[in-house]
Amino acid sequence: MTERAPGDGSGWRRLDARMLLVHPVQTFVRFLPAILAILIARSSTSGSSDGDRWELVALPLIVAVGALRWLTTRYRIGDGQIELRRGLLNKTTTTARLDRVRTVDLTSELHHRALGLAKVEISTGSAGKDRLVLDSLSLVDGRRLRAELLHRAAPAPAPDLAAHPVLPVAPADVSADEELLRLDPAWVRYAPLTLTGLATAAAVVGFAVQGLQRYADDGALTSAAEQVRALVWWADVVILLAVISLLAVLAYVLSFWGFRLSRNTLGTLHARRGLLTTRETTIDRSRLRGVRVEAPLGLRLAGARRLRAVSTGLPTERGGGSDWLSPPAPVEAVTTVAVEIVDDASAVLAALVPHGPAARRRRLNRALAPAVVVGAALIAARAVLGWPTGFAVAVPVLLAAAFALGMDRYAGLGHLVTPTHLVAQHGSLDRSRVVLAREGIIGWTIRQSFFQRRAGVVTLVATTAAGRQHYELVDVTPERAHAVVAEITPALVADFS
Amino acid sequence: MVHAMREPAHRVSPRARRLWAVEAALAVLVALAAQAVWWFVDDAPDRTAHRVVAAVWAVVGLGYLVVMPQWRYRVHRWEATPTAIYTQTGWLNLERRIAPLSRVQTVDLERGPLSQLLGLASVTVTTASAAGPVRIHGLDLPVALDLVDSLTAAAVLDVGDAT
Repeated sequence: MTERAPGDGSGWRRLDARMLLVHPVQTFVRFLPAILAILIARSSTSGSSDGDRWELVALPLIVAVGALRWLTTRYRIGDGQIELRRGLLNKTTTTARLDRVRTVDLTSELHHRALGLAKVEISTGSAGKDRLVLDSLSLVDGRRLRAELLHRAAPAPAPDLAAHPVLPVAPADVSADEELLRLDPAWVRYAPLTLTGLATAAAVVGFAVQGLQRYADDGALTSAAEQVRALVWWADVVILLAVISLLAVLAYVLSFWGFRLSRNTLGTLHARRGLLTTRETTIDRSRLRGVRVEAPLGLRLAGARRLRAVSTGLPTERGGGSDWLSPPAPVEAVTTVAVEIVDDASAVLAALVPHGPAARRRRLNRALAPAVVVGAALIAARAVLGWPTGFAVAVPVLLAAAFALGMDRYAGLGHLVTPTHLVAQHGSLDRSRVVLAREGIIGWTIRQSFFQRRAGVVTLVATTAAGRQHYELVDVTPERAHAVVAEITPALVADFS
Repeated sequence: MVHAMREPAHRVSPRARRLWAVEAALAVLVALAAQAVWWFVDDAPDRTAHRVVAAVWAVVGLGYLVVMPQWRYRVHRWEATPTAIYTQTGWLNLERRIAPLSRVQTVDLERGPLSQLLGLASVTVTTASAAGPVRIHGLDLPVALDLVDSLTAAAVLDVGDAT
């Protein structure tokens, strides 16, 4: 493949020239509040002077800054590394070794998509903090760059690299990709069942209510509010649930529409998703340390799961969310994909080793203790402050719910050691099963709190460079913890037994 | 705690007890300073509450000062083999950490002002996991220097850090 070098002769490449169109838009959006303020200020002093036509100055300035950025930003691949050079006065050159590249993200917001562009983020650090950002390349160039970075079949010898600064790579053959998962629009029904969906929806409703209160003087709104108030209480609840569900569905569609997970012949995973902003995440197989099957209570009751990657170099789960391997989807679909990825059916599906009576006692204690305190407070409030008896009736319900929670938390607690993976599961409302590759474990911590010592259990923590960095087996017996450590890393404990 | 695994072989320096005691004393002094401020700010003539709190603090603080360093000294242990580093720390809550030297990224030697006065040093061994640094506090300086040398030599031999 012959590669054009738009920069200069030395293999330096530039961002796509169409970013010159994107840049003013982005700048405009960023300074929108300031621009609005200026416009309002001018309208209030209208007719005074047309002399300060600031946009005549600002627009060329913004375009010039963009052009400068385009002129000064260059990148190249060669000698086994990627270099990014930026800046006119403060020249910075960022260099990363190609074999440190873990994931490549292509993000296209609406204005990118209109021009066929994509922002390329290259992650080179274990915690996803070290990234090279190219904003923006054409989608074709972005994909080719990704192929060069991740689909290297075999590293060519260095002299060859110097002669051909651009690695000779066959373009990623999409037809050879194996599709692992494709979104079924019917899965949208799971959207309201996830806690994150509910939280997002609740936040939106909260903002909307606050916003509406400003216009409370408006006649139509007030009368509508009166009508809502006139309804029976359960109608309010139904309306609220309907609104929240609708918003959750909206959020699901926005982020997961067109979700497609595929794997190429080298084993690299490739996820594409998004309705308006599209995201393409590519995870090198050698960086993938396992998967996390999540089963929050709502999804579990509906027979659904969702799937995340446990990989080095991805941003942490809360930021970005580029580790999705499956949106909330039926359990069969998710487990099939998980088995396909980790290639270890028992790690995903097999029954787990329970942690024993001490662990159950601790789960129950920890669930019941707060309930007992609250219950006692309610009864005391009735006796001392004369609260209505209705509150005291809630006490048995509270205790029963706490008991159920404790039992369910124990039911969710378990671990398993397979020939290639360590499996750890815990939680009730937010249950998740982590399947972690044994070779990804780079150390152990055995913790025992004061209360755990009295109960005769420990928490075994496997530390890893991937995902959350540490995965825990809560409340196992010391003997069991030692057996797990000895089975997975026999050489390590041989000296200390 | 874990019966199946023996304790690490070495204790830390006996002077570490003094280090922990001084650190504990500083923490107790801060609490006492808060108590003094309260004494002068509070205008109520009744001083019973002050005396009760002061008494509780005195007992807890003194107990902490006397018990914690001794207890901790009995718990804190470490051992380094050519392939792994193994530590045991804590007093109320116990913790054992094992890291294979093949996965070590950095080895740090730290000496705070107090440690320097007492001729002590701490060694921190980090792996590629943000959750897994192994720390040994209160080592005699020569021991710490030896340890750093041997760990660095072992870490250089291997390149894979599982990231």
